[in-house]
Amino acid sequence: MKIIVNGREAGTRDTGCALCGSTWGDYYEEIDGQRLFFCCNLCAKGFTNIAEGIKGAWGPFEVLTIDGSYSTGRHCTAMKGDQRRTFFVRFTDNADIEVFRQEQ
Amino acid sequence: MPLCPSCEIEAGDWESIASHMAGMGDSCHTMWLNRNISISRISPGELAVSLERFFRAEDGLGEWVRRKVVERIYSGPHPFIAAMQRPSRAILLGYVYEHRHFLTNWVQVLSSVIYGTDDERVIGYELANIATEYVNGAGPSHFELLLRMGESLGANRQDVLASQPLSGTANAIRVWRGIAKERSWVETMAAMHSLEFIADRRVKVLGASVHYFNVDILDSDLYTPEARKFLREGYEADSYHASEAMKLVEEHALGQMVQRVQLTVLKSLDAVSTYLNSRLERARMLEGSS
Repeated sequence: MKIIVNGREAGTRDTGCALCGSTWGDYYEEIDGQRLFFCCNLCAKGFTNIAEGIKGAWGPFEVLTIDGSYSTGRHCTAMKGDQRRTFFVRFTDNADIEVFRQEQ
Repeated sequence: MPLCPSCEIEAGDWESIASHMAGMGDSCHTMWLNRNISISRISPGELAVSLERFFRAEDGLGEWVRRKVVERIYSGPHPFIAAMQRPSRAILLGYVYEHRHFLTNWVQVLSSVIYGTDDERVIGYELANIATEYVNGAGPSHFELLLRMGESLGANRQDVLASQPLSGTANAIRVWRGIAKERSWVETMAAMHSLEFIADRRVKVLGASVHYFNVDILDSDLYTPEARKFLREGYEADSYHASEAMKLVEEHALGQMVQRVQLTVLKSLDAVSTYLNSRLERARMLEGSS
């Protein structure tokens, strides 16, 4: 899975947290067989919630772009082949889903 | 002596705080750095300089708070404020349904300031604020003006009063109540009145690209007289309210209390962002049901 956060590739120690792009922290989690870097456990939980939500609503995907922030919510576009779906996601302070909806 | 802005342990200098924060790696410390300093890791030495600069309030605590309000709420700006540049009926109704809960909580939390202080000026100030917001006297209260705006847009008053807050509003209220319970009255006063700076007319001077709402609305026939009246009241009152409150806070915030006030204000600004999202969410729900 290729991950792009606010226009920049992410998901490794060098490229930054797979959810927010931060290079602070040192937390890893394996998601769909891929070892991803996160700045903290809450970002890992949030990312997992996004990935599971999209897979549940649309199915597996190859590329995920995430645009936005903790305060305003995130527009997440999943892609497979030439198909794409965009979802709006916002979390509670504990990284639980507060809003998850497909966008036009 | 500076405090860690996340866990509030004390250290002798900013270098020690920076080393502590950089080494923690838990979600609380990491999120604080992400939100307030940078998402890019920097060395402890650079972080110490950044932290010292971040908390420096050389032109006074009130001005520091004003600047943080603009940085947090107007860089973007927040989607609700963007929507208020040309608000639809649903946006204004979203405002009404969620703000009804905000205002009730507002006077409850300000009551805790009154309970906590022995300064008669603070007691008088907060009582006057509560009256303006909540009690119908010589004129209608802000709460009453909000309900009238809702009615002018087709909402039923009883329906607004009986509604439950959306989860973002409820979470924000939980934060403000937690501040009232756990922090000093000085911090609580600053946390609440800092929110009034959001509607401050000076936000553009401090770098905001827009005002809280498009002021042309105040003279526009596209909006009901009740909506214009509600917005005008806030526009004219909030700046004065916040400035006066912050003068009282500055008098009482001495030594380490300055940083405690700063930290509590930042928590309040996070909460208000969540709350403003709920106004948008409510608007979306109302659009979907109309």
